[in-house]
Amino acid sequence: MKKSAIVLFPGRGTYGKNELGYLARHHADKAAFIAGVDQWREAQGRETVSALDARKTYSAAKHASSVNASAIIYACALADFAAIDRTRYDIVAVCGNSLGWYLTLAAGGALAPANAIRLVDTMGALMEEKGVGGQLVYPFTDEDWRQSRAHEKAVAEALHAGRTAGEAYLSIRLGGMAVLAGDEKGMAAMEKSLPPVEGRYPFRLARHAAFHTPLLEHVSNAAFDALGSELFQGSALPMIDGRGAIWSPRATDTDALYQYTLGTQIVETYDFSKSVEVAIKEFAPDRLILAGPGATLGAPIAQELIRWRWRGLESKADFAALQKEDPFLIAMGREDQRGLVT
Amino acid sequence: MGAAFSIALARTHKKPDAAMPHDAVALCSFGDASANHSTAVGAINAAAHTAYRGLPMPLVFICEDNGIGISVKTPEGWIAANYGARPGLAYVYGDGRDIVDAARAARAAELCARRLRKPVFLHLRTVRLMGHAGSDVETGYRDRAEIEREADHDPLLHTARRCIEEGVYAREDIENLYADIGGRVRRAMEAACTRPKLDCAEAVTAPLTPNMRIPRTGLPGRLLARAPDDARARREPQHMSRLISLALAEQMEKDASVAVFGEDVGRKGGVYGATTRLQQKFGPGRVFDTLLDEQSILGMAIGLAHNGYLPVPEIQFLAYVHNAEDQLRGEAGSLSFFSNSQYANPMVVRVAGLAYQKGFGGHFHNDNSVAVFRDIPGIVLACPSSGAEAVRMMREAFRLARDEGRVVVFLEPIALYGTKDLHEAGDGAMTAAFDEIEGRARFGEVNVIEAGDGDGEDLAIVTYGNGTYLSQRAARRLAEQGISARIIDLRWLTPLPVDAMIEAIGARRNVLIVDECRRTGSPSEEIIAALNDSNAPCTVARVTGVDTYIPLGPAADTVLVSEDGIVEAALKLAGRKLQQQKQRAAE
Repeated sequence: MKKSAIVLFPGRGTYGKNELGYLARHHADKAAFIAGVDQWREAQGRETVSALDARKTYSAAKHASSVNASAIIYACALADFAAIDRTRYDIVAVCGNSLGWYLTLAAGGALAPANAIRLVDTMGALMEEKGVGGQLVYPFTDEDWRQSRAHEKAVAEALHAGRTAGEAYLSIRLGGMAVLAGDEKGMAAMEKSLPPVEGRYPFRLARHAAFHTPLLEHVSNAAFDALGSELFQGSALPMIDGRGAIWSPRATDTDALYQYTLGTQIVETYDFSKSVEVAIKEFAPDRLILAGPGATLGAPIAQELIRWRWRGLESKADFAALQKEDPFLIAMGREDQRGLVT
Repeated sequence: MGAAFSIALARTHKKPDAAMPHDAVALCSFGDASANHSTAVGAINAAAHTAYRGLPMPLVFICEDNGIGISVKTPEGWIAANYGARPGLAYVYGDGRDIVDAARAARAAELCARRLRKPVFLHLRTVRLMGHAGSDVETGYRDRAEIEREADHDPLLHTARRCIEEGVYAREDIENLYADIGGRVRRAMEAACTRPKLDCAEAVTAPLTPNMRIPRTGLPGRLLARAPDDARARREPQHMSRLISLALAEQMEKDASVAVFGEDVGRKGGVYGATTRLQQKFGPGRVFDTLLDEQSILGMAIGLAHNGYLPVPEIQFLAYVHNAEDQLRGEAGSLSFFSNSQYANPMVVRVAGLAYQKGFGGHFHNDNSVAVFRDIPGIVLACPSSGAEAVRMMREAFRLARDEGRVVVFLEPIALYGTKDLHEAGDGAMTAAFDEIEGRARFGEVNVIEAGDGDGEDLAIVTYGNGTYLSQRAARRLAEQGISARIIDLRWLTPLPVDAMIEAIGARRNVLIVDECRRTGSPSEEIIAALNDSNAPCTVARVTGVDTYIPLGPAADTVLVSEDGIVEAALKLAGRKLQQQKQRAAE
């Protein structure tokens, strides 16, 4: 019997040094799809995703720039989505984090492939051109991925400090991680306010703007100017957005989807935690499949599972044990797990 | 109703930490049978009353009218006749069996509530398929033809038919959708069955006390530009009701989320002056009069608390709380329990109560039973014994609500509101200057008063409220007769501060409980049980009120605890020592 699965799509920053050559390695059989993406990129005068993927060395300036990272992550993730063995897995819904929302729209069928790359690439370019402010991450949970009141309090206090000094917002609820964003004054105040933990937090994300905050309202306006609602169509799969709302097949108002995608989610908190909560509680799938590239979104997903004691999980160790025995969360970006779904 | 009111209030206040957006609409759903329930009738009335006054109330009452409540039919047309033409309340009818008409009606209702910010009664005709519940055999009270007629109106099938007729879906699409949703429901059910179960009493009771800090911006509450200056009132000795109004002002100034409301609390400043000048200081947006309905007052508190306010509702007299008790018992008190501490509705409910009004008012103004609060799991019942104590305990009550999400009932003894003197006329021992009252009375700690010159080694008097006042007077008389008493003012009646009480009793072998409530169901019962459970080696006696309603006039004194009664009981209890002393003196 087929297993039910939800596919989750990653955000920016998941195509790193180790992912170089991902398309060539895994998706030689999807030449037509990749060619379509490349064609669009060429027409915009941008380096093709094939070329980026085929570069000899990884360069953060090149691969992690907004306009390039968005497109190559889109190509890798959608190719991964196409590679899932549908004779074994029945995909019951899709969701994603941040950039992953655009990939969700593509995988769900709300954007035809040509429109999907257009949206992804346009947003990537707008963010690069007009992005302001920055993002930093700080854990909500302790090192064992359990709720930490002290950390939650520290985040609340940092936001207060950030708002007092400048602009500061909760940008993404990312499982056990808070992604905070603000202008320079707000960021500096938050960094100063947060007590250092685990030797690396607070950690500022390079090349990231204050995504999902009102600071990007002008980006939202520019996106509305650049893209029309005709880009969107009804989806084939239920899609869970960054508020936990479900967009159902044959029951989606495409104009509302357009407004949410280019408006709401750009300027309001992206609640990926809520997406995962809705995914597991509403759809109760047999498996969660994290599309590549990379697998860094696995930790926030696992943290959310622990928060809801899903499958009895109460700690990082529990999760590791479950994964060893019978992986519930399958990351396609991991060589050891990819084969379970392809 | 309270939630809808709070949305409008938060918009007026430009409240930055409201849980609901300022253009939100509150939805309130019920059936045609429960539309007759007094809480529903009260809420609908309060909403209409508010709108009739011209105040915003963005609220949609959704009445799903399937014509039957378990087995009892609603009279044909009753809902429309009852709610179709009420002042202050818009009415929209829709056929819930027809998805298009239901959507039209719902949209119209939403627009009325959101744009016009008026309450609207959305009357949706629905059907009931199958019985009321699994154990309800419908054929026992409905004939077969009627059941079949209802089944023909299955809204799911009618929706499918309409979708096919309108060309929205093909029949196959609907079948696939049906199968997909069926699979989703089955998987969710299977997952739900594997969820961890509560397996011990500790796990069950853990969420009774939310113990959660309510996230707030912590904005201070601004005084109005023309607010009267209280500096002098704070410096000079004041009686209890005035001190309470100053304590409330202190909280309102500290925290913009505090709102005070009830009957006559606004311009009048309370029937006993306990909210004096609060409205002049903080404006009618934060201190306001409600309609005369305790269910609505407490319901409003619940709604405000849901939207980030720290409500301070006032119940004018203890006897008035009884018709509204379920708002605390079944609603406010239980929210944290049923939501596993995900939600709380912190509040400080001020109740003027207890007896000793010198024969005025009879039972309705002299209720001396607090049993209604004592068995509600999780709530806190506080009862101060003087003005200074009221201030210190009020600070703690707000801390409990703010930092732990608690529902606190603050029972103010009416008889002490205006009391200035303790022993002699003019001694002013029951007054205090607000500026000199420092700190807070910690939850779980008792107030120990050494009444005489000694250290109270002969007798411990365990009491609260007016009992503390009477006991202090009695203790002076006892001291004259050679008995040294320590008075233990409990402060917190629910939960009882048992450990602190036992510690304060210490090695004293005589314990007299002075409980002004009527005997049955009074706190004295639990105090005796607690002493027994603790194996404290003491002899216990009690004086309490008589099991009766309080009559009018001087007859009231015949059924209440008196100073003489305390002295008499104390002598009886500690009298042996006195006799021994007399013997020794004679020898």
